Amino acid sequence: MAQDVLNALTLGSLYLLFALGMSLAWGTIGILNFAHGSIFVFAAFSAHLLVQEVSLPLPAVLAVGVLVGAVLSLLVQVLAFEPIQRRATDHRKAEMQILVGGIGIAIIPLAVAQYATRSVPFGYSASSFRVSTWDWGFARVSNVQLVTLVAAFGLAGVIGWWLRAARPGLALRAIGVDAEVASMMGVDRRRLALLTMAVAGGLAGLAGVLLTYYLGSIAPETGDAFLLKAFAAIILGGVGSIAGVVLGAMVLAGIETLVLVTTSGTWAPAIAFGVIFVMLLVRPNGLLGRQEVRRT
Amino acid sequence: MVTLSRTGCRRALHGAGALVLVLGAAACTSPGSGTSGEGASGGGGGGGGEGLPDSIRVMSIRALTGPVSFAGLNAQKGIDLAVEQIEADGLLGETTIEVDTRDSATSPQEAASFASQAIADPSYVAVIGPEASAQATAVSPIVDPQGMPTVYVQAGSEGVVTGDFTFRITPPAASYFDLAGEYAEEQGVATASVLFNSGNPTLVQLGEEVVPQLAEEHGFEVVSTGGVEATQQDFTTPASSIAGEDPDAAFLMVQGPQYPVAITQLRQAGYQGELIGMSAAGAGNLASAGDGAAGFVWPTNFTPDQDVESTQAFVEAYREAYDGETPNNYAAEAYDAMWFLARGIAEADSADRAAIQEGLAAVAGEGFDGAQGEVTFEGNDARVPGVLVRWDGSTEVPVEGQS
Repeated sequence: MAQDVLNALTLGSLYLLFALGMSLAWGTIGILNFAHGSIFVFAAFSAHLLVQEVSLPLPAVLAVGVLVGAVLSLLVQVLAFEPIQRRATDHRKAEMQILVGGIGIAIIPLAVAQYATRSVPFGYSASSFRVSTWDWGFARVSNVQLVTLVAAFGLAGVIGWWLRAARPGLALRAIGVDAEVASMMGVDRRRLALLTMAVAGGLAGLAGVLLTYYLGSIAPETGDAFLLKAFAAIILGGVGSIAGVVLGAMVLAGIETLVLVTTSGTWAPAIAFGVIFVMLLVRPNGLLGRQEVRRT
Repeated sequence: MVTLSRTGCRRALHGAGALVLVLGAAACTSPGSGTSGEGASGGGGGGGGEGLPDSIRVMSIRALTGPVSFAGLNAQKGIDLAVEQIEADGLLGETTIEVDTRDSATSPQEAASFASQAIADPSYVAVIGPEASAQATAVSPIVDPQGMPTVYVQAGSEGVVTGDFTFRITPPAASYFDLAGEYAEEQGVATASVLFNSGNPTLVQLGEEVVPQLAEEHGFEVVSTGGVEATQQDFTTPASSIAGEDPDAAFLMVQGPQYPVAITQLRQAGYQGELIGMSAAGAGNLASAGDGAAGFVWPTNFTPDQDVESTQAFVEAYREAYDGETPNNYAAEAYDAMWFLARGIAEADSADRAAIQEGLAAVAGEGFDGAQGEVTFEGNDARVPGVLVRWDGSTEVPVEGQS
């Protein structure tokens, strides 16, 4: 039982790490970035290439992942999303074009990684960090599992605090409520949008590296699978709510783990998404979503 | 060639790296009967081509991009090597083969569209079909009724070999999976758990039908069977469950990129028993797991170190052609597919599609020695003896005493 709970928390942490950046960008500056999965994979892949040349410790590999993710995300924002926003006739059209544009952009880094790896999994076996496992009697836990749990909940806490207490965070939330009014109040929307995308990309890179360590390896297509789960977690928790993302990720992982433990496992995704569907019928804005956070 | 036929006639061969060796003995009869050289490619025995045009066109629908590009890119290399050797061998006389490769990007719609183009263009005499079952099942209903000879590699699901004009050169994993049962029995396995990918028909069949059947035949009990979703990334929970049950062996029927994760997490969960998989574990998929996957075994239709003369001839030619690169099963299967097709064309001695189908059927009736070893057919579906391999921490090696 304890092992199952730990497994569910770990799986939820993986979903959460992936979803945090997506949720941040979507809930504040209104960008639902479907290239997030590609950024996640390409950052992890870039770190893999570097580790093949130099045996780096875990913090250095994480730093590389964060840096590559942030740079990629900034490039996407500057080269694609900003031009779309400038040319779109209204906000809704811009959101839709960004969504479709993100799907298109995602193909580029994914194709590069697929070509370079031949879609064969890659990992960090050349890194100086080694995964260790401890048997605590009631559960087995690994060092990278602990790092994942701490990183997921720690980052969610920091981002949640930043959005509620720091001035830039408050400004960012103001954009999420009403971008025009926020601009009139002196909020530099472009600067904050760039900052948000950089943070979101950095989180994607961090998630990519941590996930690769935790799983041992990932394939270029791994980002696609996580994109769907992260999207579901955000919707379930409520767009714009960091606490909602945490709850959504944990509920999704909890249901999946419960189904895996109590059944043959074949129906895990169907049951998990079925439960989410029913929940959304009852609470259309998500578990912790609030009407006023919806963008206009 | 490398494609070898059983009796052979001697043939020198080569172009940019391929070699030919041939030991001739008996006189060449027809290509379909497998006479001709044995050697790197098993040559078709050449000498044909009187009824053939100067050049024939074959469409090769490959997944060069997308999630199964690892198969398509390697298959392309196998086809290129085979064409080079076929022409050097003179199997089709002076006739040259023009392989028109189209990238399906792993899309069934694209694959079906390319197949339709090939049918509509009379210059195409045959198709080498796509790797993924989803694509192949979209192509077969088009090519078979229209009389377009099509040879598939991989594409292991139902609905691919649908009629006289569709052939498959990759044997179903179930056809040689008994090797895993024999291994389990030798290791004294009494209990086993099964974990399979529920999104892949081949893997479902192996997990739900083939392994339980092996258990009956080889005297072990399946204590648990569990499924994971097609794109499962984290195996922590099923790994903990299996570790808790602690069976003597765990059969993992998952997709290639899932193998290193599943094995790593099983070991981290404390499971120390035998780990047995299937051919998707090959082709370098375990490299990222390194020593953590050492000892993992699986039956496969091809491994570069298998002790078969025709296989070794292919491996040698491939390494020479591709700067020392070792071929994987996708290259070997596509290589056999191209040679199979060429032998069928030589047998037909015609560029007519119906005649080529008859030629292929004749070659299938005889069988041949190829990169996968001795290739025989059940109907239009290939069979090979298979080989059991083990991951030693850095590469796959044949298991001693198994073949």
